[in-house]
Amino acid sequence: MIVPAEDMLKLKGLKFPGGSMKIEHWENWLLTDCTGSAQLPSNIVHPIALFHIPIQGVGTSIAELFALGQVEGAGSVGLEGYDWEYFSLLHEDVEYCFEGEVIEVERVQTKSGGVFDRFVFSIELSTVRGDPVAKVTNSWRFWRMK
Amino acid sequence: MSDIIDYLDYEIPSLIVERVDPNKMKTMAAILRDPYPVHWDKDANATLGLEGRVINQGPLNLSYIANMLIAWQGPSCIKRLQARFLKPVLDGDTVIAAGKIIEIIDHEKARVRARVWLSRDNEIVLEGEAEIQLSA
Repeated sequence: MIVPAEDMLKLKGLKFPGGSMKIEHWENWLLTDCTGSAQLPSNIVHPIALFHIPIQGVGTSIAELFALGQVEGAGSVGLEGYDWEYFSLLHEDVEYCFEGEVIEVERVQTKSGGVFDRFVFSIELSTVRGDPVAKVTNSWRFWRMK
Repeated sequence: MSDIIDYLDYEIPSLIVERVDPNKMKTMAAILRDPYPVHWDKDANATLGLEGRVINQGPLNLSYIANMLIAWQGPSCIKRLQARFLKPVLDGDTVIAAGKIIEIIDHEKARVRARVWLSRDNEIVLEGEAEIQLSA
């Protein structure tokens, strides 16, 4: 049975708890290594950290987002796209603040008869003084029928 | 280049990932706390017709674009990344990150926009745009 559309549409506007966190050296080191890059100088955080750090920093997790989307198992989730803005460099062991929300949910029927829910969330990062650091907007697909 | 306008239509030096490594995906899954099995459990992908292969994480695909830009203009050059994911990248794939400058955004600040893409066997699997701060 397909998850009712209204169950998903009501997620629009859902605010994440928010919070603050630091990006630790070991985590940035391993992350950078996974990309195949040499370590960046001056404890700069690899730009790809803007995927998982905002999700964790805002007080949720990929698992919780999957639970919100009521998806489980291989093939149930797909990526649509990212829009990441960098206002300043991120560094290891610096405290950053996070706030964000679900900004769009839409049920989509594909031409081939598939059905998915587009799930878009946005998270802003700032310094503890309130200066903007980055903003991410991520669009996922929660597949209901392929 | 003597003038920023000379960068228009410039092709950014590409970056080749010879073999997408499934062990990197496992480490990445742990870092991300990502429970989605398609990145680390080949058996889970049997129903997807992937013949015992695993799917690279989207952020890792995008990281190859980021690494290409960093290799060209340094670690502080990326001001915006926009990406659309078109096809999955699998372990063992060879992918090429590439880009081309399509717009001078700000002459004074030396900021440009590039079309960027990741391809496999001449098929684009990820495409998007990047705003780049050119180094002095």
